[in-house]
Parts: sequence; C-alpha cells; structure tokens
Amino acid sequence: MKKKVLSAVLCMSMAASLFAGCGSDAGTTDGGSDAGAADAGAAGAADAGTADAGDAGAADAGDAAANPIDTLIANTTDTVTLQLWCSEQEAYQTVMAELVDGFKSTYPEVTFDIQIGSVSEADAKDRVLEDVEAAADVYVFADDQISELVNAGALNEVATTYTYDIAQADAESTVEAVTVGGKMYAYPLTASNGYFLYYDKSVFDDADVASWEALLAKANEAGVKVGMNVADAWYLYSFFAGAGMELTMNEDQSNTCDWNSTSTSPTGAEVAEAIQTIATDPAFIAVNDQDSRAMYAQDLKAYVNGVWAVDDIIAAYGEDYGAVKLPTFNAGGQDVQMGSFAGYKFVGVNAYSKNVGWAMLLAEYISSEDGQAAIANATGESPTNTAVASTVSSPAIAALSAQSAFADRQVVGPNFWDPANSLGAQFVEGSVTDFQAALDEAVAGITQPANAQ
Amino acid sequence: MKKTVKLIIRHVVLALLAFIWLIPIIWLVVTSLSANKSIDTTHFFPEHWSLDNYAQLFFRPDTAANFPAWFKNSMIIGIACCIISTMFVLMVSYAFSCMRFRSRKALMSFSIILGMFPGVLSMIAIYFVLKLFGLSDSIAGLIIVYSAGSGLGYLICKGFFDTISVSLRESAKLEGASEFTIFTRIIIPLSKPIIVYTVINSFLNPWMDFVMARLMIKSKSPADWTVAIGLFNLLQRNLIGSYFSVFCAGGVIVAIPISVLFVIMQKFYVEGITGGAVKG
Amino acid sequence: MKKFLNGLKKYFAEFGTSVARGDIWTRLSLVIMGAGYAGRGQLVKGILMTLVECGFFAFTALFSWPYMAKLGTLGTVQREEVFDPLTMTKTVNDYDNSLLILLGGVIGILVIFAFLLLWISNMKTVYRIQTMKENGEHINSLREDLRTLINDRFHVTLLTLPSLGVLIINIIPILFMICIAFTNYDMNHQPPTYLFTWVGLANFKALFTSTTTITFGYVFARVLVWTLIWAVLATFTTYIGGILLAKFINNEKTIGKKVWRTLFIITIAIPQFVTLLLISKMFGDYGIVNGLCSKIGLTGFLQDIGLVSKGLSYIPFLSKPGWAHVMIILINIWVGVPYQMLIATGILMNIPNDQLESARIDGASEFQIFWKITMPYMLFITGPSLITSVIANINNFNVIYLLTNSYVTTNMAYANSNAKEVDLLITWLFTLTNDYSNFKMASVIGIVTFIICAVITLLSYTRMISGNKEEEFQ
Repeated sequence: MKKKVLSAVLCMSMAASLFAGCGSDAGTTDGGSDAGAADAGAAGAADAGTADAGDAGAADAGDAAANPIDTLIANTTDTVTLQLWCSEQEAYQTVMAELVDGFKSTYPEVTFDIQIGSVSEADAKDRVLEDVEAAADVYVFADDQISELVNAGALNEVATTYTYDIAQADAESTVEAVTVGGKMYAYPLTASNGYFLYYDKSVFDDADVASWEALLAKANEAGVKVGMNVADAWYLYSFFAGAGMELTMNEDQSNTCDWNSTSTSPTGAEVAEAIQTIATDPAFIAVNDQDSRAMYAQDLKAYVNGVWAVDDIIAAYGEDYGAVKLPTFNAGGQDVQMGSFAGYKFVGVNAYSKNVGWAMLLAEYISSEDGQAAIANATGESPTNTAVASTVSSPAIAALSAQSAFADRQVVGPNFWDPANSLGAQFVEGSVTDFQAALDEAVAGITQPANAQ
Repeated sequence: MKKTVKLIIRHVVLALLAFIWLIPIIWLVVTSLSANKSIDTTHFFPEHWSLDNYAQLFFRPDTAANFPAWFKNSMIIGIACCIISTMFVLMVSYAFSCMRFRSRKALMSFSIILGMFPGVLSMIAIYFVLKLFGLSDSIAGLIIVYSAGSGLGYLICKGFFDTISVSLRESAKLEGASEFTIFTRIIIPLSKPIIVYTVINSFLNPWMDFVMARLMIKSKSPADWTVAIGLFNLLQRNLIGSYFSVFCAGGVIVAIPISVLFVIMQKFYVEGITGGAVKG
Repeated sequence: MKKFLNGLKKYFAEFGTSVARGDIWTRLSLVIMGAGYAGRGQLVKGILMTLVECGFFAFTALFSWPYMAKLGTLGTVQREEVFDPLTMTKTVNDYDNSLLILLGGVIGILVIFAFLLLWISNMKTVYRIQTMKENGEHINSLREDLRTLINDRFHVTLLTLPSLGVLIINIIPILFMICIAFTNYDMNHQPPTYLFTWVGLANFKALFTSTTTITFGYVFARVLVWTLIWAVLATFTTYIGGILLAKFINNEKTIGKKVWRTLFIITIAIPQFVTLLLISKMFGDYGIVNGLCSKIGLTGFLQDIGLVSKGLSYIPFLSKPGWAHVMIILINIWVGVPYQMLIATGILMNIPNDQLESARIDGASEFQIFWKITMPYMLFITGPSLITSVIANINNFNVIYLLTNSYVTTNMAYANSNAKEVDLLITWLFTLTNDYSNFKMASVIGIVTFIICAVITLLSYTRMISGNKEEEFQ
C-alpha cells in the first residue's frame, strides 16, 4: 500500500508543481497582457481626451485621419511585434521584406520586430484556423476563404482606414468582394487570382484559342495536349457560370445552385454534356496545377491556369508565351463564353492580434497604392488599386482583364467544393450518361444544409 | 550442372527483387542530380547532370528552403528524443518485466488500450495542452510530443527483458544488490540489442513526421522548421516547379545518416527486435 | 468483473477501517494529510504530504476551478470586441473559450480524481503506521523510505516520469477528444470566437443516419469495410512477403547475404513521406509509369479488355477506386516487406535445426517444410506482434494520405461527407478536422475506430496479457 501512496505522492507533487508552475505562468502572462491592454486603454483614453480637447478645431479642418496614428505612436512604448504571412514564392517574400522595411521607416519613432512567414495564400485559412490566437497578425489569403475566416471570427473588421480609403482606391466590385454581411473584413491586394488560358503561340494562333472546339482540333492536328483541371470545383464553375447559371451562398453558409436547371438556355444537362465532350477529347488532359508544372516543357501547349504559374510558363514557352481570356464552348448548339471566378488576394488583420492598430497600419501599407505597385512589379500580379492597375501590363494581366468581363465575385459556401470536385471528376472519367441525374445529385450535395452533419 | 543453374536463378530473382525495391530510390538519387529543377515525367534519367541541388541545399538557404537549419533542428530533436524515449522504454520495461507489484497487469492492459486511440485525432488536443504549458511552437514542445508518451511502446523491450534469466537477478539480490543496481549494472549491459532498436526507432520519429510537427511548430519562418516540415513544404504547387530536385537532394541527405546507422546496427537491431518479438 | 467489484469493496472497506479505528493523528490526516506521519515522528514526510495537499487546493482554486465551474455549459459569454478608431485599440470583453474550459475542466477533474486516490491511500498508510507503532514495529526514517525507492519500490521511481508523460500526451488529449464527440464543435462553433456546447448523442445519431445528402452513415460503413480489409491485407502481405524474402536471402546457397539485406534496408532509411510522394508522382496520371505504359501500348490493351475506362488516356493507378486500392496494397508491400524481412531474419536464425533436419530426412519438400514447420513457428513467435500491426495499420495515416493526395472521388455520396473511396477512418477524420473544422464528427469516428481496435485486441490479445507465460522463459 505504501508503495502506492508514494507513487501517487510523487506523481501528484510533480503534476502539481508542473501545473502550478504553468498555471501561474499563464496567470502572469494573461494578467500582464490584460494589464498592458488596460494600461494602453487607459492611457489611450487619457491621450485621446487631451487630443480631442486640443485638436477639437483641427479635427474639423479635416486632419482627423492623422490623429489616431499620432495617438497610437504616442501610446506605443514597447517594441511592436508583428507577424506577417504571405506566399512562399521568393518574389513575394523579397518584396514583402522591402515593404516591411518601408513600413518601419514610415514610423521611425517606433521600434518594430516584424517577422515574415511563408504560408501559401491558398492554405492561409487552414493554417490560421488551427489556432487563431497563434496565427499571424497580418496575413494574405485568397478570396475564397473570406467567408469561412469571418465565420470563425478570425478577421478583424476594417471599420475605418487611416492612410487611404479602400472605397476610393478600388473598384466597387472589389470593395464588394471584401464585404461580408455589410462589413468590410480585408484589404484588397491583387486582382489576379483568377484563371485564364495560357498557350504556346508557336502551336496555336488567335483563332484557335477562341473556342475549345478549335483549340482541340488544332491540338489533335499538331499532336500536342491542352488542359484544364476540370475535376476541380473552382475551374469547373467557369462552364456553368458562362452559361448564366447561378451559384451563391445564403446567409446560413449553404448554397443556392441551379446547375441542373432545365429552363435555361443552354440547359444544365447540355452544358454538362459539352464539358464531358471536351474532357474526353484525346488531346485534352485534366491534369492538376501541381502536376502540370512539369508538362509545359513537354507536350502541354495550352493550359487554364493563373498568374502564379507564369514563371514556369515562360520558362517552357519562352518568347512564344501567350495568354488570352477563356475560350468559348459549344453547348446545345450555341457558343457560350466561359465565365470564371474573379479571384483576389486580400490582406487580413487577425482579430486576435495583440497590436491590432499597428497590424491595421501594416496591412494598409502593404495594400496601399505604392505597396501594390511594388508587389505588381515584383510578382507580375495585377493590383486592385485602380490608379496602379493601368500601369501594369503583361500578356497574362491583359488576358485576365479581358476575362474579368465574364468573371463573378466568389460567394460560395463550404459545401460547394467536394460535390463539385466529384462532378468534375465524373466528366473527366467520361462515365456520365444521364447528365440530368448527375447534375441533380451534385446540386443536392452542393445545396445541402450547411451544418446538417 | 542443375545446381549451378538453380544458383544462378536464385541470384537473378534476388537481383530482380532488389531492383524493384531500389527503383524509387534510384529515381530519387538521379533526380537529385538533375539540372532540371522540376519533375521530369518523360525521362527516368535527367538530361543534364548537376550537383547544384546539393550546393543549393547547403550553401544557399533562401526563403523557402533552409536545409542547414532544418537539419540542425531535426538533429537536436532526434537526439533528445532518443535519450528520453530510450530511458522511458527501459524504465517501464524493467518495472513491468522484472518487478512484481499490485496493479501491474492492470497498468499493462491499460497502456495497451491507450495505444489504440487514433493519434491523428488527439493531435489538436495535445497542441492545446502544450500551449497551456507554454510549450507550443518550440523545439522543447516537439521533443515532449515525440518522447513523453514513449513509455507505452514497452512491449518489445519487455519481451526482451523477459528472456533474461531470472536467476541472474536473484543471485545479484542475494549478494545485496538493490533493484537499481541490478537495473543499471546487469540488465542494461545485457540489453544492447534492444537499446539499439529503441534508439533507432525514436531517432527516426522527428525525421519522418510532418503532420504533428506542422501543427506544433507555428512559426512560418523556414529557419524554425524540421527537415520533415521543410521538405514537405517544398512540394507546394508554387514551389514544386523550382524545388522538386532540391527536395530529392534533401531526401538523399536525410537518408545517409539513417542508412549508415542501420547498416552498422543491423546485427543488434535484428537481435533486439527478435528477442523482444519472441515474447512480444 | 466480480473480482473487480470485490477489489473495489475491499478498497473502501480498508479505508473505512482506517477512519473508524484510527487514533487522533490518523483521523487528523483526513484534514491535514501529513498529520499521521508527523505524529509518528516522520516529520519531513508529513510536511511533504501536507505541501502536496496545499498544492492541490491551490491548483484547483486558482487554475482549474474557473474552468470546472463552467463545464456544464462550456461557457456562456461570447467574445465581443469594440474597436476604438480614435486610439486604434481594441477592447475585448471577458469571454469564455469553450475549448479551454473543456480542457481545463478535464485536467481539473483528473487532478481531483488523482487527489482522492491519494487521499484514500494516505489514510490507509497512516493507519498502518499507527498499527505498526502500536505493535512496536520499526518505522522507517526518511532515509530508509528513500532507499526503498531504489529497491522494493523501484518500480515507483521507474514509472513516475513515463506515467506523467503518458498522462499529458495521451490520457488528457484522449479524454478531451472523447468529450468533443458529445458537443457541437464544428465549423460554425469555433472557439475562441464562438462557443460550443453539449449536444448529447446527436453526433452518433448522425453517423448512423442516411439521407440523399447526409451520407455519413453510408460512407462510414464503406470506409470501415475498406479500413478493415486494408488492415488485414496490409499486415499479412508484408508479413508473408517479409518471411519469404528473409528465407530467400538467408538460404545457405545465397552469396553475399549481408549485401542483399542492406539493399533492401536502404528503403527503410529514407523518410516515408519522401519515398511515398515520389512513388505517387511516378504512378500519377501523367507520371513516368503512365508515359511508359502508353508507349508500350499497355494502356490501350487495358482499355480493350475493359480494365481502364475508354475516356481515360492513362491508367488511373492512384486515381480511381479499384486500381487505387490494389496499388495502395502493392506499394505498402514495397514499404513494409524490408522491415518484416529484418524481423523474420532474426527469428529464422533461431529456428530449431533438428526439426528441419528430421523433416528433410523424412523426405518433406521445401514447400512442405515451409508451411508445416517454418510458418507455425513464426506465427507462434510473432502472433502477438501481428495483432499490434493490424491495429497499427488501421491507424496507418502516412501511406494513404501521401499516396492519394490528389484523388478526387466520383461518388457523390462520398463527396457529400468529404470522404474518398480510398480513405481509411483515420485519414477521413484528418480531412474533417483539417479542412472542414468538423471536430465533432471526427471525434465520433475516432471513438468508433478506437472501439473497433479495442474489440479486436481484446478478442485476441487478452490471453497474451493475462497468460502466465512470462515466467516460463525467465
């Protein structure tokens, strides 16, 4: 019995000391940060009070925007630690480092410690939601994640801006894209996260890339391949959107989708049949982006992808690299221009950032006119800022802006992706015989209640 | 004559099997020597050879790949895990194999049942437990993750201890040796094979695991990653085009110390595993 | 079961006796745990015990009580923040974090439970010291007590740290995840911003219902079947393959045994995620193997005999059900055989030679010897570890996850539940947590997996644990 007691005692005391130690640690840090926040709050309130009193007249004079920043600078005594997550691409990392330096020199009164981490904007949501409290203060993410991030409370509302006005700097559609439920949640960064058609000019000419039918005919003739990742919901959308069909997210995160419509022209089934015809063409391959990278240099001479692939495309096609808007396809006897998602990259501020003021300023700095110009120069992406947008040009950006006339804002609930991926995979396999039934089944999955499971 | 033919056939079959098993390894090695940075899906052997991938790995760390730092982190974690896990396994095995106390059987059954819970599921909980202790996002935290639960893996080692003759311990006891002395002076020196087995297995952990490590290490600065996180990260769609052969080079470099360890320790490893498996 | 109940009865009876027959010091130990020791001259031990008690109360009051108090609701105050645009600072209310409440609550309850055990045992020990004193027996000094820690009670010393590790890394997380299965922790209830709460057995019901769009039940049954098939096939193919290879290499006619063995072992040395990703690239739809197959006309041939659908220009090694299932098993043979070969080598070396000799003299063929002597011997020795490998394969994450990363299902029922035909339970629940934050369903699946493993083990394993064969060998 005694043995047991002692083992228990040892266990307990070790556990107790461990827990006690950690408990108190947690206590102090919590207390510390709380106290800090309270201090800052109190000091802020006091300062704001004086500032208000002193500058009551000045505020009227229209310099209100400068005041909060001055207050913030005055209130900041410690080193400001911020984390910034952006794309793992070297060009991005380099230009962000430059921008961070620029940001630091804009506020020389404050000492910053800003870490840049590499997280692909496509993965930002997954990495942030693992533990939002440990995620970066400022992160770049792709627009399709905004509703889920807001839903998880991971984005700080952009209640006001201090150094520029988003509504003035960006097009109305862009502002809409960062708005969820009537509130803005992010700073638009680039408008080139959409897709279009890359092709090799030495194989295809302008007429060939205008429609899938011509493209496939030429590819068969020339013995090369053309491709698009049809087994992926994000790309598959372009066919149905082009035919004017609807896909939007409801308030409760479920979707409204009429891809199985029989009343539209062309009907859903006709579109589906057209997709399967394209996808099963001998010259067509439905390779995914990752695997496609090595194939440009081989026989893949036209591929639907985005600006992120431009380096690999140029490396393979060289001088002959061309980019155009998506082709048309023939469904139910009519030529339909493919639609697409208008893809953006946004800068978000973490709602749990300890230095939310500085995080907002950093996000603004990065997404400002100059910031976007620098990023566009370094990465070849097109800015959202209307003033800078006109200054950037490349075939890819031109193709994207031509496509933008047919692109929609992406408002899609989480249940869209897997059923639509699966639908696309069925077309690629060429196994669908009853198109209406396949669509009905997919639509049932896409529109299922968001939280039924 | 017939015998010679049989002998030749035997070796040809073996060579064929070995060849099948080595194809991916050969592909790994030749791709790591390719001047082309992306995957070549048309040729098995690269068109142009180059050692540049290795040079890049070691001497040109950039924002995506920082192999020297990864290697260092994995090495630290590997060695620490080795020491802690081996100690834990030996301690637990000795207690369960050589000592008799109440609730021994109950504890043994309990620990086996615990081991059956799917680890992937408790990952997120482990993360938050360690965060509560302030140990998340640190190498120390990762060491704890890999080694703290290692006591559960006592089965094979206990089996090995079971085979050590009990009279050895009894005679030592008659001469007045304490259990501690028996453990450190008699059992451990006899357990070289099983120690080697445990050391190798626990050393491998941090080199192989990328799921848990990616969750634990929150820092997104490559210098803080382990080899597994880092190499896995090189396969992202935007990096694979320019880092695939670097990834292969990394795989080869990681394999070298482990293969050397295996080849040297082969004898012990086999003895350890079988000694333990006899009584599993 | 009866034994267990009797044990329990005895346990509390002893405690009752201690309280009933204890003198003042012993009874005082009910409140001040060290009193019983201090009263018999074991001052240091008494102080230590009391300190542990104080530590427990301090821990509970300061750390775990705030969590445990909210355990019933898992928190009621949702996070609200007010941003002051003038000072650019944010004030946040004192919000509840359901996840921390649950975790802290689980820890707190565990600590209380451990303390109760300690408290009861303490009473018994104190009473025993009392009787020892009454009988005039020798009572250990602190030094003597400490000495027993490296002798009679050496197991206590040995087991303390490892148990603590297991407690932190295994027990607390497992209890926590089991609790999650009874809550609504999913995409719409993500802490810290939102609260989740108890929902009883609703998630278990969801697992066993099926409608056109709620397909968890349908998918679960299929994933489960594949998981079991996989676990059995993966274990036995590598097991038998390993033995055959070991026999082949260790045959006395083979020249250069060590070299052959080393060639196979090299494949273990490269991290699995590297080799498996490479292999998945090799067998990709547009990978090098497919390139080769279409060049030599194999793809066309398979299409002609109907094994590959006409619409595909490649062999879907890892991208269509059927093909992928077979390939995964084959690739797993590649992964597992060298390892099993290593194990088998050692065991085969120990096979009693006289049996083999006499069999040969009796004119048994090599094949007969293998099935009648070698295999039974191997099974006898490695039987228990086989069951461990089946369990390990049920929870084998790496192979499936790495090989089928880009697999897209064409079955809408799977898609609606975020699963794929090739998913094991474990990879499915990883997708649910990682991509869809659906922790409640993942926990349910985890618990079911756990129960299956436990049943398999208990059915086949109990004999091994409870059997008294241990001593036979010593």
